Amino acid sequence: MANIKFTLNNKVVEVDLDPSMRLIDALRLHFKLTATKEGCGEGSCGACVVLMDGKGINSCLMPLANVNGHSIITLEEFKKTKQFKVLEECFADEGGSQCGFCTPGMIFAAQSLLASNAHPSEEEVREALSGNLCRCTGYQSIVNAILRAAKEGEGLW
Amino acid sequence: MVKYIPASKEDALNFLASHDAYIVAGGTDMMVLKRNAAGLLPKFDKDVLYISNLNELNKIYEDKEYIHIGATATLDEIYNHPLTPKLLKEAVGEVASINIRHFATLPGNIANASPAGDTIVIDYLLDAIVKLESKNGVRLVKAENFVLGVRKVDRRSDELITEIMFPRFSYDGDMWYKVGSRKADSISKVSVAGLYSITDGKISKFALAFGSTAVTVRRSHELEKEIEGLTQKELLDRCEEFVEKYSKIISPIDDQRSNKEYRLMVAKNITRKFIKQVGEGK
Repeated sequence: MANIKFTLNNKVVEVDLDPSMRLIDALRLHFKLTATKEGCGEGSCGACVVLMDGKGINSCLMPLANVNGHSIITLEEFKKTKQFKVLEECFADEGGSQCGFCTPGMIFAAQSLLASNAHPSEEEVREALSGNLCRCTGYQSIVNAILRAAKEGEGLW
Repeated sequence: MVKYIPASKEDALNFLASHDAYIVAGGTDMMVLKRNAAGLLPKFDKDVLYISNLNELNKIYEDKEYIHIGATATLDEIYNHPLTPKLLKEAVGEVASINIRHFATLPGNIANASPAGDTIVIDYLLDAIVKLESKNGVRLVKAENFVLGVRKVDRRSDELITEIMFPRFSYDGDMWYKVGSRKADSISKVSVAGLYSITDGKISKFALAFGSTAVTVRRSHELEKEIEGLTQKELLDRCEEFVEKYSKIISPIDDQRSNKEYRLMVAKNITRKFIKQVGEGK
């Protein structure tokens, strides 16, 4: 079996796992990093989104083979950043998180957007979130939270 | 079962020479097709070759005749690249979601040969060529000849798609229409792409391709020839005739996403809209 070597939460890891294993299973079952949630398991809901090389990807569709040589960031690491603190406060203030199941994916969809577009319009925020489902909020409060984070976190992205 | 991560294109071609394998690029379609219960490995029934980390296949470049899009370029990279044909950019921008576009690929879409593959419609319309490489050499196949049926393509087991090549040509106007039930992550109920040119008051180029309305994307070179040479007024006068003729080249079905009556009506409406667009030169 091939060795898979990648950077996980800023540490180089080397594992002897099956290359066809889904990244989400490696994260949750092997590395015990359970911040990443599985919703639909087929790329429709975005609950499992993590960062790969800084961009949001669905970890339920990502085979470990393709992670080889790349950098993965999960919420366990991202929550230590200044960017997260701003997003966290804005999500809380705007009521952008209710049951919380979609929130890790929403945070990374937001981070992925803000990293490439620090001053998004409302439409750009909606576009960036369009692959992430939320059954509680109706989205408006999440959109508001991200627009507010872009303002309050000015200079961070 | 062998699951192989090649170090280079050459390594991948050597592997394929002796293994009948699934080829996984982004994996966004394959991981759903081979999906298993959470925590269990995907259900592959033969060897798998993972090519997404082959950077040598990641290039998007041009020469005199073609825009070349490498097999491992992601849809997001394609979307943001200045060389990407306009219609391809529009269609790619509506495939799945931003997160999925960060790792899905163009050859993956055509190789899976779903009747609903959005970029396949553009491949047909723009006369794209699938570049296949094996240890025995290179084979170029027109996209519309490459897709043989639902999930059936003209790829020998020793071949790897290394590029999709788009002939360079200009035209006057175009249209891309995707009908889905959600803004993102929706698999098309109907998708239609068209382009045209007018020269000396006559239609000199007319092309229309339909997705999700038959087992493969549909395009009629016969109807295009019939329309080319007409004036815009002649086309407008015969609009309903051509809408009817175009409705005969598709054969939509009922499935979980839509039904045949709806698909047929929408396809006809979009055809009419495009004919009017061409007729009015918009």
